[in-house]
Formats: sequence, structure tokens, C-alpha cells
Amino acid sequence: MIIKRVTIKNFGKIHDKTLDLSPGINVLYGENESGKTTVHTFVKSMFYGIQRQRGKAARNDVYTTYEPWENPAVYGGTLWFLCGGKRFRLTRNFHKTSMSSELLCENDGELLDVEKGDLDTVLGGVSEAVYDNTVSVAQLKSVTGQDLVRELQNYMASYQGTGDSSVDLGRAMQMLKMSRKGFQVQAERRRKETEKEQEKLSANMDYLRQEMEELTERRFEVEDKEKSLHMIPGEDDGVSMLDERIHSIHSRRLLVGAGMVLLAVLAAAGIYLLGNVLPNPVVLRVIAGIAAVLLLFGLGRYEMSLTRELVKRTKMKARWLQKQEKLKWNRENLDEAMEEKKTALSNLQTEYREYEDESYLPTAEDTEIQALNMAMDTIEALSGNIHHQVGGKLRQRTSQILSEITGGKYQEVLMDQELRMTVNTQERVVPLERLSRGTMEQIYFALRMAAGELLCGEERFPVILDDVFGMYDEERLAAVLRWLHKERRQIIISTCHKREMEILEKEGIPFQKLML
Amino acid sequence: MRFIHLADVHLGAVPDRGCPWSGKREEEIWETFRRVIAGIRENPVDLLFIAGDLFHRQPLLRELKEVNYLFSTIPDTRVYLMAGNHDYMKQDSFYHKFEWAPNVVFFREESLSCVKDEKLEVYVYGLSYHHQEITRPLYDGAAPGEGEGLHILLAHGGDVKHSPIDIHGLAAAGFDYLALGHIHKPQVLLQDLAAYPGALEPIDRNDLGPHGYIEGWLEKGRIKTKFVPFACRSYEQILLILREDSTQYSVQEMLKMDIARKGVRNIYRVILQGFRSPELLLIPEKLKELGYVTEVLDESRPSYDLEELGKRYSGTLIGDYIAYFQAKDRSVVEEKALYYGLQALLETSR
Repeated sequence: MIIKRVTIKNFGKIHDKTLDLSPGINVLYGENESGKTTVHTFVKSMFYGIQRQRGKAARNDVYTTYEPWENPAVYGGTLWFLCGGKRFRLTRNFHKTSMSSELLCENDGELLDVEKGDLDTVLGGVSEAVYDNTVSVAQLKSVTGQDLVRELQNYMASYQGTGDSSVDLGRAMQMLKMSRKGFQVQAERRRKETEKEQEKLSANMDYLRQEMEELTERRFEVEDKEKSLHMIPGEDDGVSMLDERIHSIHSRRLLVGAGMVLLAVLAAAGIYLLGNVLPNPVVLRVIAGIAAVLLLFGLGRYEMSLTRELVKRTKMKARWLQKQEKLKWNRENLDEAMEEKKTALSNLQTEYREYEDESYLPTAEDTEIQALNMAMDTIEALSGNIHHQVGGKLRQRTSQILSEITGGKYQEVLMDQELRMTVNTQERVVPLERLSRGTMEQIYFALRMAAGELLCGEERFPVILDDVFGMYDEERLAAVLRWLHKERRQIIISTCHKREMEILEKEGIPFQKLML
Repeated sequence: MRFIHLADVHLGAVPDRGCPWSGKREEEIWETFRRVIAGIRENPVDLLFIAGDLFHRQPLLRELKEVNYLFSTIPDTRVYLMAGNHDYMKQDSFYHKFEWAPNVVFFREESLSCVKDEKLEVYVYGLSYHHQEITRPLYDGAAPGEGEGLHILLAHGGDVKHSPIDIHGLAAAGFDYLALGHIHKPQVLLQDLAAYPGALEPIDRNDLGPHGYIEGWLEKGRIKTKFVPFACRSYEQILLILREDSTQYSVQEMLKMDIARKGVRNIYRVILQGFRSPELLLIPEKLKELGYVTEVLDESRPSYDLEELGKRYSGTLIGDYIAYFQAKDRSVVEEKALYYGLQALLETSR
């Protein structure tokens, strides 16, 4: 692409200014603050429009910075350029209320639609980011040596991995990792809480099991007692033994009672009969009477002792039965309590299981962590692709350009895994830190030029060098200018020094001078 | 004739385990059930239907005694009770041998039986779950028997694993009312004819909205019903739409106002949506402190114009990254990944 002419109607501090450019080297000369950067911004805005920032950021965005003070409704201009062998005229007004754009193909007079992306097509897919990375080359920002080394290494690494020198892959990954760490901490805390709840549940289960053990223990005790009372069914138990005993006492008592009655009857009958049979009945009767009374008395006492025993045994039996009843009641109570605990335990087990299952479900944090991992993996993979496509070529071309502009002093630029750059001279490998500022500027230049060629695709775009030669000595500057001339592409050198023009004249290189 | 129809009380459930209010909720589930009974004591109804899952798990004997005691305090109300899939009649379930108060009818069998209320001329049909899952449609082919009066079917289930229910079939069979249970969200399937009262108290954070029971009465010989909100709290969702000028503080204030408006007693799930400024780093944990908040779901996005960014960065990593995700029919994770990565790349740019 060649920019033919720039007409700035009203943009920043520049009004009604037309610059005619040559297809070769152009030097845009102006004092500081004379508007060189305004010209560059104008050209870029013509190609890509001005994206307004929202909110607070709008206060010093590009739109506000370059909004003209006078006659702001006219905010823009016209650009003539050659692209893909065709001549175009692009006119824009950036003003927010009267925004307009017109793209005319001068070859066939066809009006193209910028809004619908015709301009993007004309630009061959060179996006704004690619433009920033290739067309416009600004000075290295760093002042001190260490910072400069870092900046240069970042440029190289970013180009190789992202095709965009402004992207900082390391910091982006760091940011994602930090976010992930935050969610991991949260997830860990949640996991601990879940564990605590599970522990509570298992403590409850342990407590229930312990209670159940105690119940079993007590159940055994009751069983033992029942055994000792011969309460095991089928065996002779205490009650039946007592029953037997009571029964025998009872029958003996009946026997004794009957004996007593019989004795009394016999005695009475005997005494009566004795009187009739024997001659001296009185003595005998008395003796017999006494004997009978004694005998009756004896039997009576025996009967009383039997009665006492009967009462005792009956009481014993009642007590025994009561004891048995109590044991049985105890046993049933224990069994019921046991059933209750069993149900409670199985409920708790179900609860534990459900809670455990639930804790395996993905949490909100898991989703975030998964997303962050995916972001990192994707960035890495895509960056790997770019590295694969661009990385090697970029290094080779940078080395070649560097060699050309240093007259073969530096042959090769290398970059290791830790993104440390070194430069190969004919004899040895020199780390970036050991090089002079001037050489580093040369490496930067070579890198930017190589990137411009690799990232732009087929259409060669102009290169705008914005004050990049400040640190060059005369010899270096001459070498670079010679190289630029040899490359035969459109160059716009923007400078506040006359040095570049002097050397160009001295070297006999044709150039177009643009004054602001 | 007036009745109350409730279901899915889930006595014994411990909602939101791990949250500070979990224990309180467990007690509230019991308390609300006691309040229902106390309400009936004050203003008696003739019938009380409990369509399953009165208990969250296998009932303990003492819990049955407690519930039975409560029923015994409303002797003029006939209680119809069944076991659902949660409190199903396991082999050693206390349900098997439990002796209920005289005013309670417990449907023991797993096949339908009918109990007639002589005084009111109401026939109630029901059964109990003996299994946790029943894929067989238990109620298919059920039809009211002979007899003048109202025929009411107590039915639990209605999904694939818990006895699918053919509502229209049952309605066509001639039942006067289908007292359903199992689904926790209150819903009327056929006006004044078939309804789920939903869980009496919400049981977990997915039981959103109001909960309570269904009250029914007879009007010109026809049953009329209405839903009575009765739960002491509800689970609600609060949707906060972020804007580019939202800040942590403004979001907190928004949430505070929403909670105050919707009730400080309620338990909330907060969902953040909309487009936030890319610089805003929200701390969702802080939102949780503003009330009963179970979780904060952040579905908000940084306010990036993907189309515009994709165009601007085309040919570089950022452009490739956007294009990679734009080519996809993005899942939730992919959507999040897109914005996470994009934000990291853009914000760390030099």
C-alpha cells in the first residue's frame, strides 16, 4: 500500500493541511509539538475509525484528545492511497453527531461501503492491532539499560508468541493463575466445611453405635438375670419349682388335717368303746384322752408350720413373678430402644451418603477453575500456533536485517526458553545486557521491520518511523537509511532533527520532505 | 365440609447443611407442621389429607408418637395418611405396627384401598409406598367405587421413578379430588380437581417461591380449593443486573435493598448478570454476609464488544482467541473461559 496524499480538514490542532507523499522515503519534519503525532493518528483513524471509550475513560480518549476546538462538527479529512493496484479516496468525519465515511475507488468510480466492511477488505485483513504492530514504529520507551533489555525481550517474545508486541503473555497467565488460586482457596475452604459436616455426622453415628453397644450390654445382663431365674423357656424354671413345692405342702397339709379329724374321731370312739369293754374305764379313758390330745396338739403344730411355709412360698412365688415381669419389661424396652437406634443410625447413614454424593457435584468454584484452566490452555495452544508460524521466521528475518544494517557485525539473534535474548557475532555469543544502547535500538528496528513483513501478509504497508533514530550515531543512521532505500517501500520518517535529511542527501538517497 | 390437603412435610430434614441457619430450619419444619395442627384445633376442618413424605427419612418411633399425639389433639378431624417414597415402609419400619389414634386412617398396603367416612359420606382411596422407587404406575386404572358422596384419591408420585400418574385418566374416572404429593413446587394441575400442595416448608434451595398447603371446601356440591401460603420462610432468587458503572459497594447496596424489599427472613440465591466494567473485581463472599444467602452465581460479563475487538485484533493472539471461541456454540464454561482469557490478555497489555 502506498499513501498518496493526506488532507487534514480539521483534526486536533491541524486545519486544512495537505501532504503529498512519495512512494519511497518521506521525511516528516517538524519542531516538537508541531503535530507529527497528530498526522500519524489521523492516518490510523482514517483507516480504522475512532473507537470511543465509555465512562471515565472517555475523558482522555483519542476522540476527545483530537476533537478540534474550532468548528468541531467538521472533524476529519481525506486520504488518497493505492492498494492492491487500485486507487482509493477515503473521506471521513469523526464527529459523533455527523459521523460519515466515504470510500471511493477512483479506478472505476465505485462507491464502497465502509460500514459494511469494504474498507477492511481493501486493507486485506490487516487489523488495527496488526497496524499498530507493523506500520507504526515508535521509540523504545525505556531509559535505563536493564529496562531496555526487558522491553526488547518482551517485544521479541510477544511477537513470537502472540503476533502483538503489546500483549504480555507472562503477566496475562499470571493474572489467570492468581484468579484460579483465589477460587482454589475458596473451594478448599468449602471442602473443609463439608468435611467438618461429615465429621459431625460420623460423630453422631459413632455416638449412636456406642449407645447401641450399651443397649446390647444391658440386654445381655437382663438375659443373664433371666437365666439365673431359670426363665429360659423349656427348662424347669423357679416358678414351676415353687409351684411344685407349694403343691406338695398343700397336699401334706390336707393330709395332716384329715389325719387330725380321723384321730379325733378315733379317740372319741375309742374312749367311748373303752368304757363299755373295760372294768376300770376312768383311768384308761383319762390316759387315752390325754394321749389323743397330745397327738392332736402335735399334729396341729405340724399343720401350722405347713401353713406358714405355704404362705412364705406363695409370697416367694409372687416376688419371683414380679421379678420376671420386670426383666421382661426391661428386655422389651431395650429391644424397642434398639430398634429406634437402628432406624436412627440407618437414617444417618443415608444422610451421610447423600451428603457425600452432593459434595461430589461440581461447585460454582469448580466451574470457574475449569474456565480459567481452559482460558490458559487455549492461550497457550494458540500462542504455540503463532510461535510455530511466526517464531522461527521472525528470528531469521530479524537476524538477516540486523546483519544487513550492521554490515555483518551481528549475524544472529537468539532467544532461549526463558526468553533471554543473545546476539551472535562472528566470534561469540553476547547477551543483550552487554550491548550498547545503539545496538539494542538496531535490534529493535530489525525486529519491527521483520514483524512488519511477516504479520502484514501479502500487501506491503508503509512504515511510519516516529522519532526512532534519536540514539543512532551517524554511521548507524546512514546504514539504516541505506537499507530502507534498498527495501523500496514507502517510509515515513517523522523527526524533529535535520540529521536524517542531511544524511539522506549525503548518501544521495531521494526523499520527499514534508513540512508541518 | 372443609379439608386441608398437605404433603411433603419432610419432618427431620436438615436443609442447607453447613449453613449457619441449618439447625434452625430443621426445627422450623417441625414447628410449621405443629402450627398447621394448632390451626385446625382453633378452626377445625373435617378432613386432613397428608399425601406422603410426612417424614424425610424412616420415622423414629418417638417421632410417630409425637405426630400421633398431635393428631389426637384434633379428634374431630379425620386424618388420612400415607407413606411416600422418602418415608416408605421398609421391612422394619415403625409404620408397620404403629397404633394410630382413632381419628387417623393410615393406608398400610401398597395397593389401593378405600375408607368410607360414614358421617360425611366421603370415600378416601389411598396406599403407601413400600419401596423407595416405584416405576410401575400405581394409580393406573383406579376408579371410584359405588356409593353416593365424594370420592377423593390420595396419591403420591408423578415422575418416572415414583409411580407416574395419569392425571387426566384419573379425573375422567370420576374422582372428585386428587390430593397429590411428591412434587415440592405447589401446582394446580386441574382446577379444583387435582393439585400438588408442594412442600409445606421448602426443603432445600431449589424449592423456590411460596410454600404452604391447600384448603378445600364444598360449594354447591362441588369441591373448591385454594392455596394457603403457610411456610415461615421461602427461598428466593435475586437477579442483580450489573452495569458498567456498578461497583462492589453499589452491588451490595442493590442487594441490601432487594433483600429488605423481599423479606429479610427469606433465604436467597443471588445471580449476577449483565455487563460490568472489566476493571471491576467483585468479591461475591461479601454479598453473602448481607442476609441469608446460600450462594452467589456470577454470570455477569465484562463489557467487551467481541465483534469490535475481534476485528481490531484480528491476526494477533487476541484476535485468534476471540475467533476460537466465537466459532463455538459456547457452553457455560467456555463462555467464562472466553472472558477470563480476554480480560487477562487485554488488561495486562502494555
